Amino acid sequence: MPNLKNPGPNSHPGSKIRMDSIDKSFTIGGKREPVLAGVDLAVDGGEFVSIIGPSGCGKSTLMNILAGLDQPDSGNVSLNGGDGGHHQPRLGQVGYMQQKDLLLPWRTVLDNTILGLELNGVSRRKARKQALELTESFGLKGFEYLYPFALSGGMRQRAAFLRTMLLGHEIILLDEPFGALDALTRIQMQEWLLSLWDSMNSTIVLITHDVDEAILLSDRVYVLSSRPGTVKMVLEVDLPRPRHYDMVTSPGFGVLKSRLMEPLRSQIQMVKPAEKPAGNVP
Amino acid sequence: MSLFKKITGLALWLLPISILAGLVVLWELWVKLADVPKWQLPAPSAVAVELVSSKALLWKHTLVTLEEIAVGFAAALAAGLLLAAGIAYSRVLERSVYPIVIASQTVPVVAIAPLLLIWVGYGLAPKIIIVALICFYPIAVNTVDGLKAVDPDMLNMVRAMGASRWQVFTKLQVPTALPFMFSGIKIGISVSVIAAIIGEWVGASEGLGYLITYSQPLFLTARVFAAIFVLSIMGISLFVLAVAAERMMMPWHFNVKRSKSMNQL
Repeated sequence: MPNLKNPGPNSHPGSKIRMDSIDKSFTIGGKREPVLAGVDLAVDGGEFVSIIGPSGCGKSTLMNILAGLDQPDSGNVSLNGGDGGHHQPRLGQVGYMQQKDLLLPWRTVLDNTILGLELNGVSRRKARKQALELTESFGLKGFEYLYPFALSGGMRQRAAFLRTMLLGHEIILLDEPFGALDALTRIQMQEWLLSLWDSMNSTIVLITHDVDEAILLSDRVYVLSSRPGTVKMVLEVDLPRPRHYDMVTSPGFGVLKSRLMEPLRSQIQMVKPAEKPAGNVP
Repeated sequence: MSLFKKITGLALWLLPISILAGLVVLWELWVKLADVPKWQLPAPSAVAVELVSSKALLWKHTLVTLEEIAVGFAAALAAGLLLAAGIAYSRVLERSVYPIVIASQTVPVVAIAPLLLIWVGYGLAPKIIIVALICFYPIAVNTVDGLKAVDPDMLNMVRAMGASRWQVFTKLQVPTALPFMFSGIKIGISVSVIAAIIGEWVGASEGLGYLITYSQPLFLTARVFAAIFVLSIMGISLFVLAVAAERMMMPWHFNVKRSKSMNQL
């Protein structure tokens, strides 16, 4: 199993991630559009939490706020048990992986994976050495010195994963990391992520559209309503760990799935064609 | 496979070369059959003879023109990149200097060339300035565009990793700008030869442009053609040099076009 630089146990009391009544709106086409309305979220250290909801419900905005790329209009965000003061810096505090792999085309696979370390002042030589120890468990062995264009979608995504993980943050945000992959590759990646996560004690927040994926991977699933996003339901997933893909067809899984589908289905009916948002909210 | 590639590669070159050769043969025949006087239009063979017999003279003037281009282009490159970096880095510079840079391009350099003679004299300086003025614009404008062409998602990614403004510039903006910069360089280097000739036409005592203006009234038409030939070779060589530098500095850019990715297998 990968020898990831594991951060020590949570030294702060309380939740690893806390969001308290987060409001956020954007001006879209000259109109003030609320995107998040009073979102509460609490994740403990070592937990795997998924967020699921209809398109444009503000999931990515939520992630951007967590990563420090956006600030909420009101409400509090605290990471790592901090007091969540309005100016607690969050940039550079979490690992954030987006749907697009965003590998830099001018860097080899290896040099892409060390980007975060480099930005944080680790020398290239040291960072490369650190990355090379992990390329095997990320399925990138033998491809380290190729440019990203030569890789398949799954490999590119794993390279982006390694780039995120190498930073060694306790909190990892995954914004639909498997969204762009075909169904079979996605299943492979889910199993791979499960085994990877079992071997480390990161706290993961995953955004997904995929109900199966949410249940299979998570300890808890948050269901967001359509815009403006509010938490509609929180589902505890009590399936035993370690998990594997076969569980998807088990009765317990089916029960959880139907409970999760219920609020989602009512969302789907709510969106009439005319009301469908013209563009995606960032 | 590689032999096949070599042959098809050669065939690709063969077509334009044979068209060119055909035109030269037609030219030769036309001059010979219509008995065109040598001072009006020399045959290609006469130009070739001139190239050989005046090679010392041509070489001497070639070096002068090359020097004007090299110094002028280097100055344009340095100034263009520096200004582009400044404009991309600072809002104030973008608002204040960039419009002036763009407006400056509407000033015809040919018109101010004679003034340069008055201001900086008769030597190499005015030619170098003209080359620099003409090459500067495409390099600066293309590089500014490139520095601003950063993928916003990539920007968010490195910001979330804690990148400083300077790191965003060096690790993201500069590599993104490279292909744009080389487009500017290729345009600049293509017009640099023309710029040097304009500079020499306005007033010079050496250089290939001077050789042309000097030989024309003497009806040394073959020598004019020989000088034009050398200038073309010079232009092509400089362009090839720019392309070679481009390939060396951006291996990823060209591999993408050439090789298959795993997704296509």
